[in-house]
Amino acid sequence: MSQQGRVDRQPGYLLHTQPYRETSLLVEVFTPQHGRFTLVARGARRPRADVRGVLLPFQPLTLSWFGKGEVRTLHTAEWNGGVPQLSGIRLVCGFYLNELMLKLTARDDAEPRAFTIYDQAVRALAQTHSLSSVLRRYELRLLQALGYAGSFACDLHGELIDPAADYLCRGGALPERASGEAAGPSVCLPGAELLAIEADDYAAASTRRAARSLLRLLLTDLLGEEPLASRELLQAINAIAD
Amino acid sequence: MKNPPALDQLIAALKVLPGVGPKTAQRMAFHLLQRDKAGADKLARALDRALTKLTHCERCNTFSETPLCSICADPERRPDQLCVVEMPADLMTLEQAKCYQGLYFVLMGRISPLDNIGPKDVNLDKLMVRALDEVVEEVVIATNFTAEGEVTAHMIAELLKERGPKVSRIARGMPVGGELEYVDLSTLAQAVYERKSLTPPADPSAQPG
Ligand SMILES: [Zn+2]
Repeated sequence: MSQQGRVDRQPGYLLHTQPYRETSLLVEVFTPQHGRFTLVARGARRPRADVRGVLLPFQPLTLSWFGKGEVRTLHTAEWNGGVPQLSGIRLVCGFYLNELMLKLTARDDAEPRAFTIYDQAVRALAQTHSLSSVLRRYELRLLQALGYAGSFACDLHGELIDPAADYLCRGGALPERASGEAAGPSVCLPGAELLAIEADDYAAASTRRAARSLLRLLLTDLLGEEPLASRELLQAINAIAD
Repeated sequence: MKNPPALDQLIAALKVLPGVGPKTAQRMAFHLLQRDKAGADKLARALDRALTKLTHCERCNTFSETPLCSICADPERRPDQLCVVEMPADLMTLEQAKCYQGLYFVLMGRISPLDNIGPKDVNLDKLMVRALDEVVEEVVIATNFTAEGEVTAHMIAELLKERGPKVSRIARGMPVGGELEYVDLSTLAQAVYERKSLTPPADPSAQPG
């Protein structure tokens, strides 16, 4: 039997769920070849539904679905395993990965690179102790994969970044050598820090600080001043913990 | 042809229910008005009564007709244990399980950043006042084992850290009577990640000599 728009066994992650009708779930999923879209999981909220233990965020899944249009129907979901469920502060970081993905991607755009970046970030969150490096790397690589940021190896004029020079960075533009006052929102960073950020080298505290201000600038430029709920939650928890 | 305004208002009012869209609301309205007027009358009275009589228990925050709910007012309950749940239905289920003699706190929700529900929306201020009354010695967090329930549990644990009461989380693992072969893979995996030791802890006083 062939169903319209049937797609079989795609890797995927679940970004968000919400209850739908009496016993179903609306599931926002992200896949490499079909991008981000909404599936209805029929009967998923019944007490003994098999998919209950499968439709989990931050867990690599294999998804099959059918249907056309805005909301398609989940056929099967398989749990691939290998990643412990995120807990505590890692889980809050996970919500942040999802919130960024939901806000930065358009529906139904195939984004295989973004998928790989997300997958690596989730696996890293489950393991590493350096959560801020995972978040910075994710922000930067995601912006680059979606075409919102360029490489930080070269400046506006195509010249290699000089580690000894200072550079002015703005949202949506490559860095340029700092000279005098800057117009509009920008941050001024040493070339050495830009090169470390581009090389994913967050060993130095100064690089982590530089990356934080740079990525905050790029994200605010794209998403506006409206605060990210998961970032606020992360800050609220960090404030209690301090 | 247009509906009379009173009918339109009823349909619009029914749409506030979760999962009820315009079509379902219209079907409900026709059913109530045409086929079950007595039921409609009962619904209207019950809703009116609930809205005027029900408030939140001042200690545990669950729905109550009195300032203190029946559990909080029960002198037989252990006052040194406080179990935190998301919703009144969770409290009822725990009561049915007959495993807990302490008192409760009902959050009336859970933190869900992607739905813009933050710590301020789930009565954590009221919980803190309740948990830090100097009688409570243990706070048992029984929020759901969903990502949202886990984040809520983490936030509560952080808020209570080094403030006095011991904080515990209900355990997750294999279902009672569960056979490995038939259990959910994710449940089984998490039970392995969160396995507990059966080796008795070394007790220095028990050493010979
Ligand atoms: Zn009460």
